[in-house]
Amino acid sequence: MNTDRTTVEELVYQTCTALDRNDYSEFLGLCDQQFEYKVTAFSPEIRKDMTWLDHNRAEMEELFHTLPKHNSDHAPLTRNAVVYKVSYDNDKKQANVVTALQIFRTNLDGGATQVFAVGKYYDTVSLDQDKPILVKRHVKLDTRDLGWGNHIPI
Amino acid sequence: MSRNSKQWTQKPNLPSTHYADPKIYSDPAIFEEEKEKIFKKVWMLAAHESEVANPHDFRTYEHPGGTRLVIMRGEDMKIRTFYNICPHRGNLLVYEPSGNAKKLVCIFHQWAFDAKGDCVDIPRGKAGYQDRICESDVGLREVKTEVGYGGFVWVNLDDSCAPLSAHIGSALDYMMPELETEPLEVLWYYQATLRTNFKLIHDTNQEFYHDYLHYHNRITGMLDPKSGYFQRRYTAFPNGHASVGSMNVSYDAYTGSGHSALGWPKLPPNGWKLVDLFPCITYNLRTSVLRIDSYIPLGPDRVLLEFRILGLKSDTPEVRKQREKDAATIWSPFGRNLHEDLLASSGQGMAMARGSDPMYVLHAREEDNLIHDEVGMRHYLEEWSAWMGRSSSDSTRKIADSKPQATAPAHQEQDVAQPA
Ligand code: FES
Ligand SMILES: [Fe+2]
Repeated sequence: MNTDRTTVEELVYQTCTALDRNDYSEFLGLCDQQFEYKVTAFSPEIRKDMTWLDHNRAEMEELFHTLPKHNSDHAPLTRNAVVYKVSYDNDKKQANVVTALQIFRTNLDGGATQVFAVGKYYDTVSLDQDKPILVKRHVKLDTRDLGWGNHIPI
Repeated sequence: MSRNSKQWTQKPNLPSTHYADPKIYSDPAIFEEEKEKIFKKVWMLAAHESEVANPHDFRTYEHPGGTRLVIMRGEDMKIRTFYNICPHRGNLLVYEPSGNAKKLVCIFHQWAFDAKGDCVDIPRGKAGYQDRICESDVGLREVKTEVGYGGFVWVNLDDSCAPLSAHIGSALDYMMPELETEPLEVLWYYQATLRTNFKLIHDTNQEFYHDYLHYHNRITGMLDPKSGYFQRRYTAFPNGHASVGSMNVSYDAYTGSGHSALGWPKLPPNGWKLVDLFPCITYNLRTSVLRIDSYIPLGPDRVLLEFRILGLKSDTPEVRKQREKDAATIWSPFGRNLHEDLLASSGQGMAMARGSDPMYVLHAREEDNLIHDEVGMRHYLEEWSAWMGRSSSDSTRKIADSKPQATAPAHQEQDVAQPA
């Protein structure tokens, strides 16, 4: 098992830059065949967790595939991530990674930037191979008013 | 042929019911008048009873009339609504959007109120006020509240308003079996603040011609001749409400929709029913999920959209998970359709902002009240004009006095077939 924290951090950062560039094949290349992806937010109004996206790998691939057919906001999103904590599970040969996340949206027209969302990534990373692989990503959003929303996973 | 200034702003050669004066979507004075004449008098959907499930649960609501409210369930299980204003020096009584409290205690000087709105404690009351003011003088302001049509909490700021049933009439009748078979529960609540006029986004719920905006709907509805899409029919109801007939959504046509066969009690499999209520509430029941939109206008060009996604109270965790998944594909902030609707409505808000010299807005499609007919928007603006005492096609033109809801006779139901 490779317990080099730097390679785990680089994996998290590479998922961000791949999504920033809308390079979905690069992103999927960093993910396991059993990849699971989920976005949730806790609502203090109704005191419940809400699951806003919940996809396996095949569903993620379909999502990326159908994105161009929809009308979407094309303003680029920039993910700023800081890995807070990496803990290792020797039995499973995995790392659990907590990453603070801020996402900025930059207007195409004029280039003004605003905060789009803040939250955290809770990632499970497999360390069983020569390179770390993302097995599971749970995005917990603090931001819930996302304006007109977005089509691209965050 | 492109148009010059005069041609661009001239009235269309159509009946005045078939276009709208763009000022009604951006003028600050008209917005203030809407607050006075509509929002301070009309029934608004403020919450669902499952948000205040237990005695002493409370939930806040930012009423579009301008007043912050707090909804609270009493020991007697009755739901009451009050102004969220402490009667002493006008502080907010409740700061958090929800919670549970035996008494509402103002943080400022600790005046306390029970779930009936009675003041139950004034610290050192006698010492300061002697017999001039006592607890019974300073209760909370209670707001008319009714629970119904699927367990929703409705409020009306006007003490002399007619009952909720007089406002809704028969508009929700065709959805009542689905709404009242089993208790419902809110699964999601979220807001979106947009820079647009509330009527523009409500219109987007009232016209289906915009299915051209949605790749998902084109392919799961319009492109399947067996879906019944083009047979969906509008039914206009008194008081500005309208429904759209049911259809079968062909989810198989959209790869990756991940949509389940879960369904909803009494609704045909893959069915879809929709009712728009005046002034800005929508019931949208699609296969396995009920979505409720309730909009809070904040200005002529700003609106806070409240979205609720509901399932059944009896759902197991697995079923609940599946309902959320079904909703997520189209209606979450990352869903395929919601983002497109909000982009288009915001685009209207940007393009027709105050001072932008917009043209008259066309509401002129006539297709025998079938799905791409724009009768829904026309019917809505007829009601809007009646409440405002102002023509929607020429906002400077006053018409008969505005409609006081308690006394106005209901319009006759239009001669349109009932939804299938
Ligand atoms: S303002 Fe609330 S107790 Fe004084
Ligand atoms: Fe839509």
